[in-house]
Formats: sequence, structure tokens, C-alpha cells
Amino acid sequence: MFRSTAFKSLARQSQFISRRTYADAASADVLKLSLALPHATLFSSEQVTQVNVPGANGDFGILANHVPIIEQLRPGLISITETSGQTKEFFVSGGFATVQPGSTLSITAIEAFEPSAFSAEAVKTQLAEAQKNVNNSDEAIAATAAIQVEVLEALQSVAK
Amino acid sequence: MFTRLGTNAVRTASRQTRNYATLRDIETRLKSIKNIEKITNTMKIVASTRLSKAERAKNTARVYDAADREVYKHAETAAVESEQPKNLLIVVSSDKGLCGSIHSSIAKATRKRIAELNNNVDVVAIGDKVRTQLNRTNADNLVLAFNGVGKETPTFTDAALISDEIYQLSDKYSNVEIFYNKFVSGVSFEPTIKPLFDAEAIEQSPALSQYETDQDAKVPETLSEFSLANAIYTSLADGYASEVSARRNAMDNASKNAGDMITRYSILYNRTRQAVITNELVDIITGASSLD
Repeated sequence: MFRSTAFKSLARQSQFISRRTYADAASADVLKLSLALPHATLFSSEQVTQVNVPGANGDFGILANHVPIIEQLRPGLISITETSGQTKEFFVSGGFATVQPGSTLSITAIEAFEPSAFSAEAVKTQLAEAQKNVNNSDEAIAATAAIQVEVLEALQSVAK
Repeated sequence: MFTRLGTNAVRTASRQTRNYATLRDIETRLKSIKNIEKITNTMKIVASTRLSKAERAKNTARVYDAADREVYKHAETAAVESEQPKNLLIVVSSDKGLCGSIHSSIAKATRKRIAELNNNVDVVAIGDKVRTQLNRTNADNLVLAFNGVGKETPTFTDAALISDEIYQLSDKYSNVEIFYNKFVSGVSFEPTIKPLFDAEAIEQSPALSQYETDQDAKVPETLSEFSLANAIYTSLADGYASEVSARRNAMDNASKNAGDMITRYSILYNRTRQAVITNELVDIITGASSLD
């Protein structure tokens, strides 16, 4: 898993470099990010330097002039490097990230919170609760629990 | 005693001529109009307090929707033309009335669209009002109805639950459209159609090849499911904002009309009161003078 992730991001990077030589230098060299939730807008076509997203096939970084891509997100941390150099982090439970032609990145997620908003203890107790139900005979309960475990395990490494 | 008889006499007279209401009649009428005005005024205040929240929800939902739809715009996705098209219309409205023409206009737009598609349509109604309206004319087309929406600002959970139900039947539809009331301004709304794309349509998009997608992960399918929920959510939010603002306007008009009626009836009431007093005085004076 780790190796393939590393390999993928390497491959992406080389692609990125090769594309970069063809790009027109001036205007297209910025990445525009829209990070939208149903109930809030966190970024609305704002210029950023780099965005790292947790894709379903492994984490990857997006810079300006990334190839257009449609990627489903798994629960994990989105980290955004703003043009000022500051980094902002959001934990998302899932969603989609799409890079459009022309260096626009749209991320649609259902929920996103900063890591400091989570309580590690609450995560721990809920995770224990969910793990109990994973092998439940009722398929619906087991499936819900499996999703909960997936999210909470990802959250466990993030929450402090 | 005499006065009682006097008013009774007037009342019987008015029953016969039908153009001269009695004091008591006017009084009850006036009282009920005043009560109605109180109610409509309160509803107006409630609607205007809800409006700002609803508008905020609508604005963020629109940004969300735009981010969601960007990929379809660039991929030039269009509905797949099939030989035997099966259409599904999802009509988004709500449970509550007293908000002007908002439900009837969306029902009207839906009926028009059903006629355009030669009645070869299945309809999903979200909201009781639109369900009853469509049930009158197009009961055969109605396949699914939801209620309990529109009480509060819609949440994504509502939309996800609705879309889950719809998805259970939507796999056989080649063309899915959402009808909702688009919020235009504080005083106007517009029934709007939003197309939705299934996995097949996304796969066949002419410009999809420029995107890098993971072939194994069923991206088009997940994307279409996600977009269905998103589209329902944004339609609910937009519809809710239009409904609340329409209700505020309707209640504002109702209160104004009630105010007008109150002034007219107060004048009539006072005039009638004076007339009754004059009549009684005449009666008394004539009675007194006949004794002399």
C-alpha cells in the first residue's frame, strides 16, 4: 500500500514536470481551489500553492497544472498550502476532488473540520463501539459499523 | 328592553333588504378580521426571521452545486439518447401552504413537461403540497412521494435519505430531471429544471477522456450517486429559500389587505352605530311626544 502510494505520487510528479514544460508560464501557474460543503463554503476559487488530498487510491498532492482528474476521497486529511505559505488542514469524511482543465480544483465533501476540533477520547470510545458491531449478523448494522470504523481509524491518527 | 326590541327590528329589516348589516354582525366580522391580521402578521415575522438563514443556506448550497457540476461542464456530459427513453422527474416542493403560488407554479411546470415528454414519465414528488396537486391530474405517473420536508432549513442528511430511496428505482431511467423553485430575488422565484446524469451518461461524455479516472473504482457510478444527493440538497435549499420569501410576501399582502378591511369595517361600524343611536332617539322622542 505504502509503496504503491509512494510510487503513484512519484509517477504523478514526473507527469507534472513533463506537463509543466508545455504550460504557458504566466497566468496558468496558479491553482484555484474551491472547497465546498453543503452547509458552508471554506474556499471559493481562491489561489493556493498546493493541496494534498486523501484519494481512494492513496494520498496525492496537487499543484498548478495538474492533469485533469476525478478522484473519490476516502476519510483523511486535506492539507492546503496557501500562497502566503501557511498551511490549513481539514479532516474530511469523504467526497470528490476534481481537477478541471485550467488548474481549478473543486473539492466537494460532506463534512470538513480542522483536526483540533476533534476529541481523541471521543474517537476512541466510538471506535470501540463501532468495532463491536462490525461482525453483527444484521448486514445493515455491520455495513454501517464498517464505515464508522474506516472513518474513525483515519480520524484517530489525526485527532490530538 | 326597548333598545333590544329596537335592534331586533333593525335586524329583521336588514334580513329582508340584505344591504344593511347590523351592528353585531359588523362587530363579529371586524373581530375575526383583526384576529386574522394578527395571525398573518406573526407568520410574516416568522418567515422573515427564517429568511436570512434560508438565504445563507441557499448561497452555500449553490457554491457546492457549482463545484459539483464543474466536472460535467468540462466533460460536456449530456443525457444518453436511447430508443426507448424512460424519464424521471423529481419535483421538489414542501408540505406547507400559505405561500402564494409557489406550489402551483411548480406543479404547472411539471405538467407542461410531462405533456412535452408524451406522458412517458415517472414522477417523484418531494413535499405533500405538490403531491396532492399532481395526484389530481397525473396520479398514474406518480411513483414515489416524500413528506416531512420544508419544516426547517434542509440538511444533507434529508437529501441523502431521499436520494437513497430514489436511487433504488432510478437505475432504469435514461433521463432524470429535477424540478425546483429557483430563488431569483426577494420577490420572485422561477420553476427551474436541472438535468442529472447517470453512470452511463458520464462514461459517454465526449470530453471525459481528458480526465484521469481510476477504471476499477466505478468512478462514474459513485459520482452520479453523489451528484444525485447533491442536486437534491441544493434544490431543497433553493426551494426552501424561495418558499420562505414567498410566504413572507404572501403574508405581508394578507396583513395589508386585512388592515384595509379593518379600516373600512371600522368606519362602517361607527356609522351604523350612529344610525342605530339616531333611530333609537327618534323612537324615544316620538314616543315621548305622543304622550303629551
